[in-house]
Amino acid sequence: MKERMKKLCWILLFTLVVVNGFAVQRFPKPEFETAYLQPQTHQPPPRAELLAVTDVVVLFLALAVTTWLVLKRRSRMGVFFMSLASLAYFGFYRQGCVCSIGAIQNVTLALFDHSFFIPLTVIAFFILPLIFTLFFGRTFCAGVCPFGALQDLVAFRPVKLGSRLNAVLGMIPYVYLGLAVLYAATGTDFIICRYDPFVGIFRFGASFGMFIFTGTLLLSGIFIARPYCRFLCPYGVLLNRTSRFSRKHLTITPAACIQCRLCENSCPYDAIDIPVTGKNPMDKQRRMRNLIFIILLVPVLVGIGGWTGARLHETLAGVNPKVRLASLVMHPESYAGMAEPFEITAFRSAGKPVAQLYAEASSVLGQFYTGGWILGGFLGLVFGLVIAGRMLARYNPDYVPNKGNCFSCGRCVDYCPVKATTNPPS
Amino acid sequence: MKQRIIIGIALLLLLVVIGFMVWDFFLSRPEGAANPYAYDLSELKKSDTALNRYEEALQFTPGLEEIHGIAVDPAGRIFVAGKNGVKVFDDSGKLLRKFKFDGYADCITLGLFGNILLGMGDHVEIYSAEGKLLEKWKPANSESVITSIAATGLFVFVADAGAKVVYRYDHSGKLFNRIGEKDPENRIPGFIIPSPYFDVCIGKKGELWVANTGRHELEQFSPDGRLVTSWGVASMAIEGFAGCCNPSHFAILADGSFVTAEKGIERVKIYSPGGVLKCVVATPEQFEEGTKGLDLAVDPKGRLLVLDPVRNQVRIFVEKLKKK
Repeated sequence: MKERMKKLCWILLFTLVVVNGFAVQRFPKPEFETAYLQPQTHQPPPRAELLAVTDVVVLFLALAVTTWLVLKRRSRMGVFFMSLASLAYFGFYRQGCVCSIGAIQNVTLALFDHSFFIPLTVIAFFILPLIFTLFFGRTFCAGVCPFGALQDLVAFRPVKLGSRLNAVLGMIPYVYLGLAVLYAATGTDFIICRYDPFVGIFRFGASFGMFIFTGTLLLSGIFIARPYCRFLCPYGVLLNRTSRFSRKHLTITPAACIQCRLCENSCPYDAIDIPVTGKNPMDKQRRMRNLIFIILLVPVLVGIGGWTGARLHETLAGVNPKVRLASLVMHPESYAGMAEPFEITAFRSAGKPVAQLYAEASSVLGQFYTGGWILGGFLGLVFGLVIAGRMLARYNPDYVPNKGNCFSCGRCVDYCPVKATTNPPS
Repeated sequence: MKQRIIIGIALLLLLVVIGFMVWDFFLSRPEGAANPYAYDLSELKKSDTALNRYEEALQFTPGLEEIHGIAVDPAGRIFVAGKNGVKVFDDSGKLLRKFKFDGYADCITLGLFGNILLGMGDHVEIYSAEGKLLEKWKPANSESVITSIAATGLFVFVADAGAKVVYRYDHSGKLFNRIGEKDPENRIPGFIIPSPYFDVCIGKKGELWVANTGRHELEQFSPDGRLVTSWGVASMAIEGFAGCCNPSHFAILADGSFVTAEKGIERVKIYSPGGVLKCVVATPEQFEEGTKGLDLAVDPKGRLLVLDPVRNQVRIFVEKLKKK
């Protein structure tokens, strides 16, 4: 019976293929011959289903191999070559799409708009790196992300920025993530993709403005190692927070730290926490005072942030096409003396009632008002936690990678003179 | 100190990147920006002036509303059909006679004994030279839209854009066969007629030519409906036929060359009997933008008559050398 069903399926499949083979165009497409050259689109063609599955398999294997290289082999060279391979496959071959960073928006939109179809591949690209990070740290950043690999290639002279500057600049990815989620949730735009700095390189084509944008970022990357990963990447925020819970994170030393300080300056990303020993902890009373201050401060910051975000909702919604169109229709004086904007022309020719447009724009504004509260509150919370992180020093006897900020690249490993066999881990 | 300068420069570059993103997303949308999707054919309408070997010698207004059809008899008299009437002019544009009827004539040709055949929407009407209604043929199809008629001594060929077929009648209105229907066995691709422009003409040897506009081709058929030959190329360039469906009209010169008229990019050109571009008669600049339905006729002197429904004129073009 099973065999018969199998045969039936094959026959059905074959019939479908053959029937399609006889299909003819209902209307032949004119093949115009002119001197005009069709511009090459920068958008890669959709992947065949089999290739999409292959991509997920390759992603899983790349994560697994990188994790093995980082945690078992502790091989910086291995991670480096792995990142080059990922750059070639995920960057140049797959032309940077779909990527885990951009997948944030697809997932968000799918959560807020049930008519939006999200392929399983995209979900896999979003989830897999997070799962690996949860167990093994940011090995995705080390050897799989093509963005990181590309930036690593230009980090010729990395400089230390200092903890304060790192903390201030480290707020930017939270803002970017918040805005990306807000604009994706309201169906306004996919800003991560819009300002993807490396996709132009992967696809050998981008607008002049984007090339300048990418060039500037890479130029800064000569001195500030991985500037996008550290101070822009919204996915890095999720990886950072997830990685803090990782059980098997990369360690600088395979055994007990001998405090030789050789690794102190090895990290180009300022991601090594220096020891906070028993000699210099804050006194108990001061720590308690700080804690009470933080407990009071964070809700205030969340409230202020939320209120500010809600006040800015009209500005934030200004880029939404519906809101922008409604604004233009409502204020024709804004383009007085100029040609009528093409959005207005298109709207008028569509014959849609103005009242309907206003109602839709009003609904979007409402979404932005709520979103503004959430975004502002989220940023207030993050700001509060950053302050808390700086005020509440934690006991730390050894040189250890900061689990949140460490990309698990393995550079520091090469600096450690301790061998695993000489001193078993405590 | 040096380290601080480096950090300062690197930070500045990073801030430039972030500043660009903020500016581009929130601030760089000027009101009243030009439409990036505008349908602009102006560049495509330019052509090589060296190819232009004709010039406009004469033009006159026929004094009819909604002119659609033009024909010339062997004596050089010009027949123009429009709303509610037909007018006849001599070769200098002087009115000779006129007659009236109710309705719109979409096309005109001359039949036996000087009779005038008019395509009137879904059917054909035949008038005597004096303007007396002689016959009114039944519509061949409930969806018929008659756009062109061509007559030989034996047959009348009627192009029906609605049914996408050419009918062969005798002069008494007896239907013989349908020509051009899709027939893969006999390698007939069928007519693709996206707009109500579907012209037929009789060649110098009495052969039937049909404009298969959707395929951007002129196709020759035998009276029994065999596809004999075809030529044409879809191209925005001057050598081909542009747009969705062209040539909208065509006529055949005494030497077998084809005169074609296009819409979209309004132009009139001459092709050799083999379908090679010979020259340009009129360029887009010589027509109002959006002009459609440039019906064509050739008079015994070899002059090209272009019916311009937008300017409501009969425009006569002659070869520059001949004029001198």
